[in-house]
Amino acid sequence: MALIDPYGDRFRRLLVAVAVLAILGGIATAGAYAADPSTATPDPVAYDDTVELGLSSETDELMAGSARVPRLQVFYSQLQYVVGYNGVESFVATIDDGRTERQFGYPLVVYVETFDGGNPGVTDDGRFEAERSTDWIPANEASYVVDSTARSPAGETVVPFAERTNAEAFTAEHGGHVLDWAAVRERSFDVDSPATVRSMAPERWAEADRRIADAETSATGQSSNEVVVGRDAPTIGTAIEAAPPNATVVVPAGTYEETVVVNESVTIVGDGARIRGDGNGSVLTVRASNVTLSGLTVDGVGNETRDPEAARESAGGDDDEGWDTNIQLGYGHGDAGIRAIDAPGLLVDDVTVETNASGVLLRDGSDAVIRDLRVDGSDDWRDGFMGVVGIESRVTVTDSRFEGGRDGVYLHRADGSVVRNSTFVGNRYGTHLMYTGDALIADNRFRNAEFGGITVMTRPSGNAIVGNDVRDSGAGIQASGTRAYVGYNTLANGRLGFSTSSRGSLYEHNVAVDNEVGAHATTVVPSSRVVANDFVGNDRHAKAGAGALRVWADDGRGNHWEGANVGLHEPGERAYRPTEPVDAVLHHETAAAAVRESPGAVLLDRLHGTVPGARSGSVVDPSPAPEPYAPERIAAARDPDSAVHPDWRRELGSTSPRRGALDGGSTTGATDTMNPHYRHTTEATDVTEDRRSTIRLRTTDAEGIR
Amino acid sequence: MTGTPGETGGIERLRGHFLVVAAVFRRELATVLRTPGYGVLPVGLLALLGGVIAVGGGAATGFVPAVVDLLLVTEVVVPLVAFVLGYRALLVDAETGELAVIRTYPVAVAGYVAGVVLARVLAFLAVVVVPYAAIGGVVWATAAPDTTIFATHSGIDSPLLYVRFLGLLVPFGMAYLSLATAVSAVVSSRRAAVAVGVLAFVVAVLGSDLAILRALATGTAPSAIPGLLALTPNGAFRGLVFEGVIGVAFAPDGGFVDVGRAVGSLLVWTVSGVAVSTATLAYGDRLEVVIEAVRTRIVD
Repeated sequence: MALIDPYGDRFRRLLVAVAVLAILGGIATAGAYAADPSTATPDPVAYDDTVELGLSSETDELMAGSARVPRLQVFYSQLQYVVGYNGVESFVATIDDGRTERQFGYPLVVYVETFDGGNPGVTDDGRFEAERSTDWIPANEASYVVDSTARSPAGETVVPFAERTNAEAFTAEHGGHVLDWAAVRERSFDVDSPATVRSMAPERWAEADRRIADAETSATGQSSNEVVVGRDAPTIGTAIEAAPPNATVVVPAGTYEETVVVNESVTIVGDGARIRGDGNGSVLTVRASNVTLSGLTVDGVGNETRDPEAARESAGGDDDEGWDTNIQLGYGHGDAGIRAIDAPGLLVDDVTVETNASGVLLRDGSDAVIRDLRVDGSDDWRDGFMGVVGIESRVTVTDSRFEGGRDGVYLHRADGSVVRNSTFVGNRYGTHLMYTGDALIADNRFRNAEFGGITVMTRPSGNAIVGNDVRDSGAGIQASGTRAYVGYNTLANGRLGFSTSSRGSLYEHNVAVDNEVGAHATTVVPSSRVVANDFVGNDRHAKAGAGALRVWADDGRGNHWEGANVGLHEPGERAYRPTEPVDAVLHHETAAAAVRESPGAVLLDRLHGTVPGARSGSVVDPSPAPEPYAPERIAAARDPDSAVHPDWRRELGSTSPRRGALDGGSTTGATDTMNPHYRHTTEATDVTEDRRSTIRLRTTDAEGIR
Repeated sequence: MTGTPGETGGIERLRGHFLVVAAVFRRELATVLRTPGYGVLPVGLLALLGGVIAVGGGAATGFVPAVVDLLLVTEVVVPLVAFVLGYRALLVDAETGELAVIRTYPVAVAGYVAGVVLARVLAFLAVVVVPYAAIGGVVWATAAPDTTIFATHSGIDSPLLYVRFLGLLVPFGMAYLSLATAVSAVVSSRRAAVAVGVLAFVVAVLGSDLAILRALATGTAPSAIPGLLALTPNGAFRGLVFEGVIGVAFAPDGGFVDVGRAVGSLLVWTVSGVAVSTATLAYGDRLEVVIEAVRTRIVD
């Protein structure tokens, strides 16, 4: 019984139909060869919808004024996402690199924004400025001004124009000369890389040493006049009023129930002295430069963590700027043990603050050195606030301890700050940076941070996070931004080791031990290097969010993954894919090794890694390291009594000698259980792009303010 | 209609040839349709390809990664299916004596072979190209970016590239089908057909590439690779897929294979398979006589 009778009439018609179909198929195939997909030219998109690489647009400098960085958008052959570049030169630098082309394919089309009608110029401090950009045009049709006086925060900047005459008009006024696209592509630009940030990390440490030394000098230099509280004046307040400038106010042991305002440059030295506020507002307010506070304990701080008026005033603004203002007004105006307003040169040394609001609040250029500060915050972070709040102030924190409260150190627009050698226990976030770039967070210990040890939000640039030891926390390090250096950190026993949220960054020599997830690849378009990290004992070594395949290796040097050696191959010979089901369990389950040797798995191994830009949601390390890079830190990470601080300054070529290592005392943290809502929030923050994380954060923090 | 008697006779003769081919074609198609095993092939192939796509993951993002995932499997499966479709094509009629009966009619051997091969090619299109096309449809329907918070574009990825891939499957499969048909003409029993077919399959799929590797190891200039690669059906097919489909994503200038030679090679393989079949059917008996004569002379 045949379904179709080959000798029937219908069959003849069927044959004709098949013949027609075959001819059509032939024509279609011929057409497919005639058309050339590599010349496809998609139209430019709204820049906000691109995945942004290159310079950060959220540095303080760019947000504050009219300065601009000319932008590009690039459509790569293998990448589904449109990549935006801040700075023509940052794109040109990636062409030289070759790495981008391997990962994303070649650029199909490049668009550049031009400034013909945007009244382009140069600001007083040499930045390129324009009222607006006029048009997106294909890069090879534009004319470019190079070597002009216009600079970007990262150095030389190239200014594109649609019309050559407009470009020449610009050079007439601001110097430089006009090149076409081919010539611009051939140039090499000195663009800052995360390696620059790495090399600067020891220098920042040394800079912090200098700041501390400077603060000490100005403090000791003031001690010619002494006013003793109790002998020369009845209260601390009257003593300060009585003291001549640069005098020392000595506070003998005892409890002083008063709130103090410091309007003069004095040194206040206590010896077992406790200043107790009335439970309203801040206890000590500093409104003068070069003030030193030393040997004091402060309590009786008010409960107002933020200024509720401020939150209400700016509630209407939903854009980033409105939110930023909201935070500055709100966070900058809460109660604190010590509050400094426009007080540069402040030294807080050997001070303890017991508070349910903030410990030390610095704003309006209160560039302070904080040493040996101890802040005891609320047991539940929702009841308290920050150990140190720094807003628009360059803060140096060293050898301090922050227990409980919301965030240990919260810095907002505090470029160049340094947080080092400190201990954080039972905070929400240990150290939390917003709009803060060029900072150094080094050699700190974090324990039991509910959300995470170190978090950097918004898109700052050039932060160095080095040598920290984070354990038992929601996440070790979640740093957004660009050009960050995350190295030599030890991240153990948490829900997440580190995320690679910062773009164009370098993640190296980190150790992720016994976490639920070792590392989380978050950015949609991979642009960072992740090399020489050790992953041991994690439930899952790595997890990848949406986006192109991440290749975690550099020049044949990969990461160490426990389990990658298992099997019949030479250690390090076979690619390891921590996000694939079989590879992910090699270190748990012996039988996985047998599955891995199946022809199917071998076949898949071969396939992965080809056209990486067009693949998605996974991580591959083509050359896993057979041996751990830092076995001693892996062992130490499992010893609850040790704090691990590798000698990164020597390895990164430090010039300053290493100070004494921190005491190795054990830390115990509050065992708070986490509210499911907030748990969800942190995870969502981590999964998505930092752009969205800002929005998430905004919701949580806005909730906090209300 | 005007014309010299000679021309009219030529057209008539051509028409006669066509009718013969058409009759054989139809008969062969009936054979194919009545072989239940062939119905299972496309289903099995679809399942296999679907599995490769699902595990490989490339299809989730686009056509080019899907083709990358499919390439290796295709290089094995397409020749295999071609052999399954062809290894008995000319053998059965010869075995049963039907060919001898057919030859009593005015049917040229070439016409007979052409009819059989054409029917088998149509079967091949249905069994192989249709499942591949279906997979293409799946990719087209499901491939999407992971996230839509950013602007996306398809890069060079386009259904056109998959159509190119489908287009390449046809000459590749035809080369093997023609080879398989030649095998079916040469051998004299079903068992021999299986044995020779497997041998030819392994030699063609693996051996030719091994020969290239061997040639390189013994000092052949690397610049000869594009030319050498084009010589074997697998090499020519792989080279063309790189040139026209995958390579577009990372090397728009191409240079993976000598295109003219690769296309020519696939055609030559196809034509020579048909030629061998025809020659064997036409002169095989006489050849046997000659061989037998030689044999007896040597043995005696």
